[in-house]
Amino acid sequence: MSVVDKFGLVAENNYLTIYIPATQSALVFRVVARANRGFEVFDYGPLPIRSGESVALFGGGTASVPADGVLPAMGITGDLRFPAIPGTPLENVRDRSDIWYLDKDDRDRLFHVKVHIYPPVIRALVRIPTNVTQHRFQRDRVPLGVESPLGFSRGLLETVHIPYLIYGYRFANDTNLDLRTFVKFVFAEYVVEIPRKPELIFDVLTRRVPSHWLTMPIASLEPAIQSALRDVYGFREHRWGFRLYRADERDRAIREYEEVLKALKA
Amino acid sequence: MVRWLFTAYGSATVTSNASGDFKLSIPDAYGGPYDYIRLPKGFKAKIWAKRLTGTAAFRLIVRLVPDVVSAPTSTVDIDSEYLASPGTLELEKRRPVVVVAKTGSEAIKFSYDNTGAGSIAFSADIELTDEEE
Repeated sequence: MSVVDKFGLVAENNYLTIYIPATQSALVFRVVARANRGFEVFDYGPLPIRSGESVALFGGGTASVPADGVLPAMGITGDLRFPAIPGTPLENVRDRSDIWYLDKDDRDRLFHVKVHIYPPVIRALVRIPTNVTQHRFQRDRVPLGVESPLGFSRGLLETVHIPYLIYGYRFANDTNLDLRTFVKFVFAEYVVEIPRKPELIFDVLTRRVPSHWLTMPIASLEPAIQSALRDVYGFREHRWGFRLYRADERDRAIREYEEVLKALKA
Repeated sequence: MVRWLFTAYGSATVTSNASGDFKLSIPDAYGGPYDYIRLPKGFKAKIWAKRLTGTAAFRLIVRLVPDVVSAPTSTVDIDSEYLASPGTLELEKRRPVVVVAKTGSEAIKFSYDNTGAGSIAFSADIELTDEEE
């Protein structure tokens, strides 16, 4: 039985596993509730780029954004956040400049966000934290960006917003058209808890217990990420999550998970 | 898989035996009109439908520009339709005209020739997709 619903969002009382390549560890959450059940689709509007702003161009140079939400031909945005829509109740979010930002005392909440970008030919990637290149090729030899020949997706991004971390979204348009953009979010505001039984965590991470896995584009454990994992959940140095073990390493894994769990915040 | 379906439109007032390129208006694109549509590398353009209308006869030509960066005037004709008399010609639900972008420098443009004197226009439903088949 699938742990996700028709939107690809985790259904209540199922598990969400966020794998972080930089730590070779995972965060495991049980979805206790879905705060926005029934209104998962959010027609946000154009990309948050304003008329007159400057964007970089493929091949060098810059171009001016001709109208709000228009991504110029061959244009590449900087790291964007999605601000609250002015004049709407969204202005009451914790940080008006970023509707997906949660603070460190929001440890029982997670936003699972699918960003649909129109026209879907637009290149996209998310950087965690903002302004840090995390997409790489051949270890660290080749840093990749939305302007590179690879290292991006088109039309859709899926991520989970870890509280107390600022994400940066970048977009690029490799057509000759100044594109009018539109963003639709399909999202879940999960009420979550970290399971407190190490045996259960082991079973999730060895895939005996079904879970929705999402690998985050985090190749380097930046200080901002460490800070979020420590200040939000209580993870510590060298224990930035639950490490993956082979199925025959159960005893060793459970001993380590017990230690990790002891340090976590209630 | 990415699929973007949009309509391109162009019109012109022409004299007898004129030829030229349509300037394109595209609802999803700001400003314009555009001379051509450049295709992202790895994408293919499928032209699903064409509508020709005019107070004069004309031939619509679909042209591939293999390298719009280095040789924008070098083109290859890949399809054409002829509106033989004033009126409207709708060509829909046909197998699409397909152009594959292998370098990212390819573009498609729409031209006219063999015209009578009058106003002519066309629109085309174009899909940009990165599908494999």
